[in-house]
Amino acid sequence: MQQNKPLISVSNLQVSMGGKPLLSNVSFDLSEGEMLCIVGESGAGKSTLVKALQGMMPGHCDRFTYAPSSTEVCGAIPAGLGLAQARWVMQDPLAALNPRQPLGRSIAESLHKENLPKDQLRKRVLSALDDVELTADFYDRLPSQVSLGQAQRACLARALIAQPKLIFFDEPLSALDALVQKKIAQRMESLRRATTTTYIAVTHDLGFAAAYADKVLLLRDGTVSAYQSRTAFFANPQSDYAKDLVAAAQSLGALPEAAA
Amino acid sequence: MKTLLIRFAGLLAVLFGITLITFTISYFAPGDKAEAIAHARYPGDFGIAPEVLQGIREEFNLDAPFFSQYTHWLADVMRGDFGVSYSSRTSVWVIFVDNLGETVTLTLTSLAIGLAAAFLLSAFAVRYPNTIWDRGAVIISSIGAAMPSYWLALLLILGVSVYLGWLPAYGTGTFAHLILPAATLAFWVMTSQTRLLRTFMLEAYNQPFIETLRLRGIPEREIFSRHVLRHSFVPTLTMIGLDMASLLEGAIIVELTFSRSGLGSLLAGAVLSRDLPVVMFLVMFFATAYVVINSVIDGVQHLCDPRNLKRAKAS
Amino acid sequence: MSLSQSISISDSHPADPLRQFTKRVGVATLVLLGLWSLALWLTPYEPAAADFLNRLAPPSAAHWAGTDHLGRDIATRLLYGAGWSLGLSLAISLTGFVVGTVVGILAARSGPAGDFAVMRVTDSFFAFPELIAAVTFAGLFGPSTSNLVIALMVVSWMKFARLARALTLSLGESDYITQARLNGLSSRLILWRHLLPNILPSLLVLWTNSWSRTILSVSGLSFLGFGVQPPSAEWGAMLLDGKAYMQTAPHIMIFPGLAVLLAVMVINLTGDRLRDLMAGKT
Repeated sequence: MQQNKPLISVSNLQVSMGGKPLLSNVSFDLSEGEMLCIVGESGAGKSTLVKALQGMMPGHCDRFTYAPSSTEVCGAIPAGLGLAQARWVMQDPLAALNPRQPLGRSIAESLHKENLPKDQLRKRVLSALDDVELTADFYDRLPSQVSLGQAQRACLARALIAQPKLIFFDEPLSALDALVQKKIAQRMESLRRATTTTYIAVTHDLGFAAAYADKVLLLRDGTVSAYQSRTAFFANPQSDYAKDLVAAAQSLGALPEAAA
Repeated sequence: MKTLLIRFAGLLAVLFGITLITFTISYFAPGDKAEAIAHARYPGDFGIAPEVLQGIREEFNLDAPFFSQYTHWLADVMRGDFGVSYSSRTSVWVIFVDNLGETVTLTLTSLAIGLAAAFLLSAFAVRYPNTIWDRGAVIISSIGAAMPSYWLALLLILGVSVYLGWLPAYGTGTFAHLILPAATLAFWVMTSQTRLLRTFMLEAYNQPFIETLRLRGIPEREIFSRHVLRHSFVPTLTMIGLDMASLLEGAIIVELTFSRSGLGSLLAGAVLSRDLPVVMFLVMFFATAYVVINSVIDGVQHLCDPRNLKRAKAS
Repeated sequence: MSLSQSISISDSHPADPLRQFTKRVGVATLVLLGLWSLALWLTPYEPAAADFLNRLAPPSAAHWAGTDHLGRDIATRLLYGAGWSLGLSLAISLTGFVVGTVVGILAARSGPAGDFAVMRVTDSFFAFPELIAAVTFAGLFGPSTSNLVIALMVVSWMKFARLARALTLSLGESDYITQARLNGLSSRLILWRHLLPNILPSLLVLWTNSWSRTILSVSGLSFLGFGVQPPSAEWGAMLLDGKAYMQTAPHIMIFPGLAVLLAVMVINLTGDRLRDLMAGKT
């Protein structure tokens, strides 16, 4: 992996809600084209982290930088709706797509700010559909008229079409069955290789992290239990918790050979 | 605790809104109120002197601006003074109590008969699915939802009173007078409740624990009477509470169609003779009753919710 | 054409049942409206034309539903009465639909304090049972069609407001609206594209319910003398007209009641079907 320009860095992030700490002392940094996998059990604060980074939950940190919008702050992460040139693929594709709007229009909304003429917009949507291996006739289908995997690919297309610098991936594969999971993950990986898009993927599937991540951030009860490169994480886990997790995944045969 | 306080504040706000709406309607009702009062005081006197009218206007504050009249009236209402009927010159409260009995008798009789019939019908429908019982219950309840109650009343009068001559058609007083009106209203209760009860019972049947009971070999009859019936009882009670307004409306239509005395006939008569104190009291009574019943149901549900119970204990 | 259509549906994706149903209801409505206009045009009678030689005649080939106490053709009056009974209640329930939806959405979007205020006002109106409000208003201000309509409109919107508010609040948290916000869509665009198309089906179910209830209210109040006044051919007013002749000519009061029953049943069943479709049943 070639070393690129830094994209996002966070140090000592704190998030609390109603006096209750949800996340504390979370730090990481990513360069362009890297993938970070945030792993941990449910309730560990994975989704909170994704929301806080996008300004949708009040978070404080010592330093927060985000290259595409030249953001560099100390203190509160600017509250708002999302980061510039970033997209978010959510866990449940059927909840993330308007049930009464054709897929093509949902995907096109990702380019809303660019104000493209109609025919150009349609062309871009069709090529985005092609990128995720969906045919042109999916343009006019409603979410209820496609399979779950196809809906998630449409969501992926909605993120990719904007050619963002950063994509948040919130357990995007957990609602799908194994074959579809693999197909989408591979497609995503080949698209990632072709661009310099950075990914922050939330998952509780260590196998996914072992196959695709550059860095792994393990959360437990809102604190960082391990933050290592993939190879280091699987060869020499930082904490006891991480060790147990990796050992358990290995004994189940859930990890690919390379990581074991 | 805080949610309960907010709810209570909301209830007060709504009660206040009810008085404001009631007063606004009566304030803007056409007709000279002083004259109406004068006619009530001096019955048979058709040439009331202007001075007398002026005196009444001053006595009742009728020339004051809207808001001042409203606050005066509201103060009276808060003290429990609902005024005196223009036409009978007796206290509104006394007239109300006199007429309440007939309406309560009618509603409770119909509710009891209608509910009993609904329980039987939906029990048969659920125990024997896809039989004539089940289909019949569905058909009857959709006919019932569409049946104009005044038309059903006319049909009953036509059949039972006119052709058969068994029961009196119009009026109040004896038990015989109660049968047709109660049957009309009970039919409505039966059909609307059958629809709901059938759904509740089917839901209860679809609970996973019913299958467990069956596997344990507990007889179908016992499963039904012990578990399904009990399961569908609470939602039914809630629905009846919420549908109290419809029941009252039904009672009013039935009373007027059968020329029975009661709150409905009282309201219609008072409205047509512009007996404003009676009208205002009745309208407020119906609205307040509705709001209070609903708040009580709401509150009970809130308290019965185990999550809230835990919270209340913890704090 | 139909063959290729059915093939394309079966081997690629199922048709959207909601859209299909809407289309079918639309066609059925147009057909019914056409038949109704045709019948109005074909009937040889006028709704108000008295014929004293033919008073209280039972149903016959010349008068399909008989004649009333003034010798007017009941079938013709029923046709004209549909305009009153169904038309007035349609206008009333549509007003409630639009006003209530707007109020509910506004309440949901105006922050906690505004929401509390708007909803308590809604509750205050909601406390007055429809029929009591209508009897009071139409009685005090003089029984007439317009007063009946005003009274019923005033109490027609609260259920819509409650439902629209609840739906708006719950959809506001939904993932696809979050996505639309992240993509920078204005709240007006989100309202038209994402919110309304998704809350309308539920509101439509409520509307069918409200329409049929209003038919019962309009004809019931007219029957009690608080609404449309005879000699207008409203179905309830026709019943009021016929009540006195119940013993000698029961057909006068059979047909108008039957008309109300059938109209309300058809609308209710349509609404039930729509609700089932939304719940995913087929």
